[in-house]
Amino acid sequence: MRLTAAQSGMWFAQALDPGSPAQNTAECLEIHGPVDPSLFARTLRQVVSEADALRVRIIEGADGPQQLEVVEPTLPLKVRDLRAASDPDAEARAWMREDLATPFDLAAGPLFAHALFRVGDERWLWYQRVHHIVMDGFGYSLLARRTAEVYTALAAGEEPGESPFGRLADLVAEDTAYRASETYETDRRFWDGAFADRPDAPNLAGRTALPSRTFHRRSARLSPEATARLRESASSMRATWPEVLVAAQALYVSRATGSAEVVLGLPMMGRMGSVALRVPGMVMNVLPLRLTVTPQATFAELTRQVVLGIRAARRHQRYRYEDIRRDLGLLGEGRSLVGPLVNVMPFDYGLTFAGARTEAHNLSAGPVDDLTVNVYDRADGSGLRIDYDGNPALYEPDELGAHQARFMELLERIAETEPHTPLAEHTIARHAELTLVVDEFNATAHPVPPTTLIGPIEGQTVRTPDATALVFGDQDLTYAELNARANRLAHHLVEIGVHPGALAAVAVPRSLDLVITLLAVLKAGGAYLPLDPDYPADRLAYMLQDAGPACVIADRADRVPASGVPLVALDSLDTTPYGTYDPPRALTPHHPAYVIYTSGSTGRPKGVVVPHAAIDNRLRWMQAEYELAPGDRVLQKTPSGFDVSVWEFFWALRVGATLVVAEPGGHKDPAYLARVIREQDVTVCHFVPSMLQVFLSEPAAAGCKGLRHVFCSGEALPRETVREFGRVLDGVPLHNLYGPTEAAVDVTYHPCATDATGPVPIGKPVWNTRLYVLDAALQPCPPGVQGELYLAGTQLAAEYLGRPELTAARFVADPYGPPGTRMYRTGDLARWTEHGEIEYLGRTDHQVKLRGLRIELGEIEAELAADAAVGAASVLVREDRPGDQRLVGYVTPSDTGSVPDPEELRARLAGTLPDYMVPGAILVLDDFPLSPNGKLDRRALPAPSFEGSGDGGRVPSGHREETLTRLFAEILGVPQLGVDDAFFDLGGTSLLAARLVSRVRDTLGAELTIGTLFQAQTPAALAAHLDADHSEADHALDVLLPLRAGGDRTPLFAFHPAGGMSWCYSGLLSRLDPGQPVYGLQARGLHGEGELPSTMEEMAAEYVEALRAVRPHGPYRLLGWSVGGVLAHTVAVLLQEAGEEVELLALLDAYPSDQWRDAAVPEEADALGALLRMAGYDRTDELTREDVLATLQREGSALAGLPDRTLTAVLDIVVNNARLMREHDHRPFEGDALFFTAAAPRAEDWLTREAWAPYVSGSISNHDVDCLHPELTQPRRLDEVCAVLAARLKELDHA
Amino acid sequence: MALSVELIRADVADVLGEDPADIPVDENLVDYGLDSVRIMSLIERWRREHDIAATFVDLAEQPAIEAWVKILGASA
Repeated sequence: MRLTAAQSGMWFAQALDPGSPAQNTAECLEIHGPVDPSLFARTLRQVVSEADALRVRIIEGADGPQQLEVVEPTLPLKVRDLRAASDPDAEARAWMREDLATPFDLAAGPLFAHALFRVGDERWLWYQRVHHIVMDGFGYSLLARRTAEVYTALAAGEEPGESPFGRLADLVAEDTAYRASETYETDRRFWDGAFADRPDAPNLAGRTALPSRTFHRRSARLSPEATARLRESASSMRATWPEVLVAAQALYVSRATGSAEVVLGLPMMGRMGSVALRVPGMVMNVLPLRLTVTPQATFAELTRQVVLGIRAARRHQRYRYEDIRRDLGLLGEGRSLVGPLVNVMPFDYGLTFAGARTEAHNLSAGPVDDLTVNVYDRADGSGLRIDYDGNPALYEPDELGAHQARFMELLERIAETEPHTPLAEHTIARHAELTLVVDEFNATAHPVPPTTLIGPIEGQTVRTPDATALVFGDQDLTYAELNARANRLAHHLVEIGVHPGALAAVAVPRSLDLVITLLAVLKAGGAYLPLDPDYPADRLAYMLQDAGPACVIADRADRVPASGVPLVALDSLDTTPYGTYDPPRALTPHHPAYVIYTSGSTGRPKGVVVPHAAIDNRLRWMQAEYELAPGDRVLQKTPSGFDVSVWEFFWALRVGATLVVAEPGGHKDPAYLARVIREQDVTVCHFVPSMLQVFLSEPAAAGCKGLRHVFCSGEALPRETVREFGRVLDGVPLHNLYGPTEAAVDVTYHPCATDATGPVPIGKPVWNTRLYVLDAALQPCPPGVQGELYLAGTQLAAEYLGRPELTAARFVADPYGPPGTRMYRTGDLARWTEHGEIEYLGRTDHQVKLRGLRIELGEIEAELAADAAVGAASVLVREDRPGDQRLVGYVTPSDTGSVPDPEELRARLAGTLPDYMVPGAILVLDDFPLSPNGKLDRRALPAPSFEGSGDGGRVPSGHREETLTRLFAEILGVPQLGVDDAFFDLGGTSLLAARLVSRVRDTLGAELTIGTLFQAQTPAALAAHLDADHSEADHALDVLLPLRAGGDRTPLFAFHPAGGMSWCYSGLLSRLDPGQPVYGLQARGLHGEGELPSTMEEMAAEYVEALRAVRPHGPYRLLGWSVGGVLAHTVAVLLQEAGEEVELLALLDAYPSDQWRDAAVPEEADALGALLRMAGYDRTDELTREDVLATLQREGSALAGLPDRTLTAVLDIVVNNARLMREHDHRPFEGDALFFTAAAPRAEDWLTREAWAPYVSGSISNHDVDCLHPELTQPRRLDEVCAVLAARLKELDHA
Repeated sequence: MALSVELIRADVADVLGEDPADIPVDENLVDYGLDSVRIMSLIERWRREHDIAATFVDLAEQPAIEAWVKILGASA
């Protein structure tokens, strides 16, 4: 009998990992009373005999899996009396845990097991484990009920009533009828339509993983009171309590993931109106439920959405979850259809065994892909039991517990809250977490005097007039000199209208005059507006026009574009008439200190007005935290238009330390910076992280050990940079600071530990500053949950200059602070750590989405940077053609001296990241382009070039060509290609080919093999092939494999290595002339039929016949790798003996039989290793054929798509070839040979190409390739091989 | 009081949150939102108020009022 669709889903899941016990389900029924074990065994035998659906084993037939009835199975029942144990229950539980970890053998059966433990005089535990493929939750309830019934009858000496069970055949028949029905089509269309946009399915982990073999479970109980209130609340909304639970879970997931759209999975018993109601078997289905959760909607509205959503889904509930996923093409991409599952089991058994009451305990509800929330309603009045089952690959037990605890508290609050209250009223944080994140983490109150930015500097001048204040090159000024010069200029500025509340623009390159001018503006009471002389003229003009300053001060008149603003040109200004005393001014801490323009994410730059109180708080905190002292020297290198420069300019001067001003442009030159830091004894400086990376790779940086503090801010600080800092500047403290211009430079700080792991936090709030991480409802997120970062406190800017609406939009009322206070919305994504530090997670408005998928660029960058050859990495989404968004990676070489290899990097990423996160191109740059601020200038990164014929090619005609062209481009990572571009010519590999085949299958529903792709390599050819429905033809396993049949050159024949397959030569195609035909020769036994050849000669003779079918006469070109080389040589000899010319014999690390004669013949275990190597994997712990197949399947290997009989045949061929190799006797070949040695040291150190000398009459010209034997056909090595090979072929073409 | 078609219909409409007039007697109630939890609450109610003997499986097997009338022995 075939499997039902429901069973097939389970079968495939098991086939992915045959040794996994994840499909085990188990339950334990606690019986309070006496049990007669022999009567119990009799009962079980009867129930099993009645339940034919349970009593099957499953074998793989020619037409797929089949279930066979086992008529009289031996009852797998273990009975033990544990009363003597110190803790009988614990002993029993341990046994069950161990049993639960044992996988069933589907083919052998039985697929269930029982145990009966006596744990007390009057207490027994009945344990049963059943494979999910034959049983679901409802099925368990049928089995348990019948078992109780039969036992009770037998115990009373009565005959149990007739079996209530329906037959498995009825289930299968019903399933078959459904799949042929119109309803099936209607259902398919329904789900297609409902999920046509392929929505994201947010989950709590924020990423997906393959299912594990086990799961973590946390159990909790909702109090009877809360349960009762939930029920009442549900009925007041005309809903059921499970629907209320689903709504609550949707609310939780939405808030915890920051997504308004959620998709939950709802397991359904799937038996309404069906014969299945009486069949204990596997019927259940999981239906996806899409919900939109907004803060404005009420809980009642959300519940109504759930009720209607489930109602609509229920009408189409027989359509399988697995089929929906496949229809949407999610299968091929490894994407989830749903987030967490809410599995409500309202079937309380309340059974009695001969009067003894029972309690049921679920032990495993089946595999857990992500998170399953199991809810049990127990009729004993103990409330709801809520189990959180999590995939260990995604959730630590503590995380699972935290989510669960929050959900339980949320349920309690929902039960107490009027259901027509907006969802915004609900937080997902627990009460204790709210106190923590709002109050305890923000306990930063610290009294500061009401001073200004400039006051403390003037005070310091009085205290240390003769100390060195300022150094620039070989010039320096004492505090008194600096003060005097600044005061003279200040008096002039007062005269021309600079006063408290007024602005003065400053366009002076880094110099003594720059510092003097800034001080002068502040001394006059004004706020300075820095105009970076490096900015483009129209940007400067815009800023002058927008800000309307009282004047603009420049070092010379032509520094700024002409505007109506009065100009003070320092080179023509004589300030000697003015006094050197501090000018009087009515300046308060509320007056603006500076205005800095920032580029908005949208539209024009905006001026941020920062008051004195804000920046004064910032500098006072910094002094208290880092204690700058006289003798310290601070490097001023940050351009004045970037607010980091503010603390650089003024901090030192407030405390008697010295400011060292770097040359204009010097901030971009790491060698200059290292020199200045050393020569000027700099103790404090700042780097933007990307510039820090550059600086650390400068050899002289290691000499800067005199630094006392290095600060980073402005960009996310990669952990790798921190580690590198520790290596180069061991012992120097590094601090990560964060803050937008809108909050006086920095609001958080974190001392970096060079040996820590994970993302570098931006840290804790500074003095008088509060940080909030809020969700969409502006409710605080608990630690670990990401939300948007909001800032409040003294350091907030006053406004955006002249932009009241923008100010009102970004600076909003602070709901958690005193009345009237504001908070600033940063647009940054962040989360709290448990220790009260903030982790920065990216921007809300630059969130990268590609083809509907959320992408963390940082994650890709981290993977790239993990490669030893990579120094620094950056990844971005480019749109070089409208609508054509692609991921592109950029890397710089590390100082190891090796150059990063884009192809290898892509392969590396493909190994650890989902396909959609692997950049289509990776470019190696000498250096990253930096903006004037020293930040990475993304716009200056070059666009990658791809070699598809693109626009030049013929336009696709018809749907298939169009689709295929798109799929080719997607898989190859090229922006566009023509319908006549060949897959392997554009760098297609067999791994990519496997992906393409799978995508074509998913998208077009066309059955296709990799072999077809070898024959039809262009979108046009493939479309024609599919149109002609040649899909059953598969030359991929034929003796002659036309890798590239077209071309006017003399064909190249490539002979298979030990495994008998020649797919490994597909890499030659893109590396040889497109006019060069290439044929592979393959073992005849790949179809799994016929005898294998008994001598090497016999095999070679057969290949001669095969190649003569396409090329009857010479000259011939032959190539072979490994065993293939021996074959090529043997074929060459046969051809020469037949009077033909052989013009090329190329041997890829192949050694004659003599060398192998005495080596041990490999056994199957070695053959398995060979098979894995063919697929490009190193062997790990695979021991059996099954292990190897599982690995291939898991890794998505092209070989895994082959039928089992082929893989089995390959193993036989490997063993056979090894034997033939050892028995063969070579005859001499007349001519030269081209040889490639895999030159890395190998175990078989006795192999030498010299051994060919007796069998090659001419010369053997060798080329060493630095790799191991199995690596020789990998892309990078093939580049080397083909460089030589292509040159030789070209010579032959022109000979 | 014995169960009647109209009473069944009214109770079904109640658990579905619909108007009795919108609930047909001859159609699959699953299409109208009937699920196992709602069937169980109906059974509970009818056991309490009408002392019915039918089980969950009996009703779930044929989820339509017409069929239930026969199973529950209700008056037409």
